[in-house]
Amino acid sequence: MREEIITSGRLNPHIDPHLEIWHWQIPLYLFLGGLAAGILFFAALYTIMGKEDKYPGAVRRAPVIVPFLLILGLFALFLDLKHKLFFWQLYTTIKFQSPMSWGAWALMAITPLSIVWVAMHIREFFPRWDWKYGLLKDLESEAVKYKVHIAWVIIVLSVILGIYTGILLSAFNARPLWNTSILGPLFLTSGLSAGAATIILFSQSKKERELFIKIDLLLIVIELFLIVHLFMGFLASTSVQIDAANLFLGGPYTAPFWIFVVLLGMFVPAGLKIMELRHMKVPVIIPVVLVLFGGIMFRFIIVFAGQMSRWLY
Amino acid sequence: MALDTKKCVGCSDCVVACQTENNVPIGYCRDWIVEVTDGTYPRLELELRSERCNHCDNSPCVRCCPTGASHYEKGGIVTVARSKCIGCGACIASCPYDARYSHPDGYVDKCTFCIHRIQKGLKPACAAVCPTSCIYFGDLDDPNSEVSRILKQRKHKTLIPEAGTKPQVYYLV
Repeated sequence: MREEIITSGRLNPHIDPHLEIWHWQIPLYLFLGGLAAGILFFAALYTIMGKEDKYPGAVRRAPVIVPFLLILGLFALFLDLKHKLFFWQLYTTIKFQSPMSWGAWALMAITPLSIVWVAMHIREFFPRWDWKYGLLKDLESEAVKYKVHIAWVIIVLSVILGIYTGILLSAFNARPLWNTSILGPLFLTSGLSAGAATIILFSQSKKERELFIKIDLLLIVIELFLIVHLFMGFLASTSVQIDAANLFLGGPYTAPFWIFVVLLGMFVPAGLKIMELRHMKVPVIIPVVLVLFGGIMFRFIIVFAGQMSRWLY
Repeated sequence: MALDTKKCVGCSDCVVACQTENNVPIGYCRDWIVEVTDGTYPRLELELRSERCNHCDNSPCVRCCPTGASHYEKGGIVTVARSKCIGCGACIASCPYDARYSHPDGYVDKCTFCIHRIQKGLKPACAAVCPTSCIYFGDLDDPNSEVSRILKQRKHKTLIPEAGTKPQVYYLV
């Protein structure tokens, strides 16, 4: 029997036997960022379309959680840094080749804008809200005047944020599982789907809920289609990418991926949504929670499995 | 840099010299030995390689670094500016050779080709200490340097060139 035995003298912590440099912080952040991008996308979209009064759940109510999601996500990112006191160095450089750099800048822009957006709609939750200071009142009336412009900026930034969460990983040639450009659209779709699901929770009218159930259903179908393409691409590629796909096709991530992400995160909520659209009684929260659960598991699994996939030499 | 796999005996002297020279924390290493045994008993072939950062010409670590901490020095050596590194780990994930690690002090660390020694006209610690003199170091752009001359004479390879990073550490085979 012909054999090749490779023995390495290297045992660096978090590098060997396989990479473990990114822990729970990164997938959590990718999920929160994608979810925030999804909610903001729909809020901005329906503002631009002038359907603000028709879909208040999407435009006025759901975005209230976005600043919290983003700040929590940024905090998780901060926790992940190993040289924390130097984090400000991110904002002394613009590097177009580094997805992390323009992601950091996009977050820098979208976080304050999301706070402005919530401030503009604060009366939805506190009808007798008063800004107390003249300056703040002036700022609010200015912001309201340019609302559609702000929405345009937000819609562009939210797409960048949603895609960036995937591109961040796909830019790494060294990890074959991540190194596929389909991860960008896939994470964007998953983020939009999570956003649509969250909006369902916040909407108060049946009509709006039905619209977002349909949107979410469509997004789940697109997501499944992209997942099939992801594996088709891998299996038709080089041996390292076939090995990467095999992590999910018989390897250690097979059960978690197909059960938690595809079955519980996509098929079951899609079935429940179809039942809802056929006017059967389904508690609103169940499909929503399943979609969010699927989204978070998807990111955890991709981040962890990606670190296991590598070039062999 | 060029390393002669026919002369290397795998003694790990280069690893220890590097750890001493660069104060590498205990349990970590910037260079390491790989043994590849190949064939069918009793016809076995052994290849010994002292591996380290390949100081690639098309470095994914430099490309993905969000702050510019990972950068090319004049002459092509890839180094990390500690005061700019935020420890995000992107470069570690981007390296197909896994040549980088997160230093316990927070920043990312790796082989520098002992740039502090080269600037004084000395060889890197690993090359200086190698008992079989199997490590050749010099300027690849200079056709008369030791490393350019040996690469002209001998068959050589780089590690996973198909990863597209244009590695600059050569193995004589």
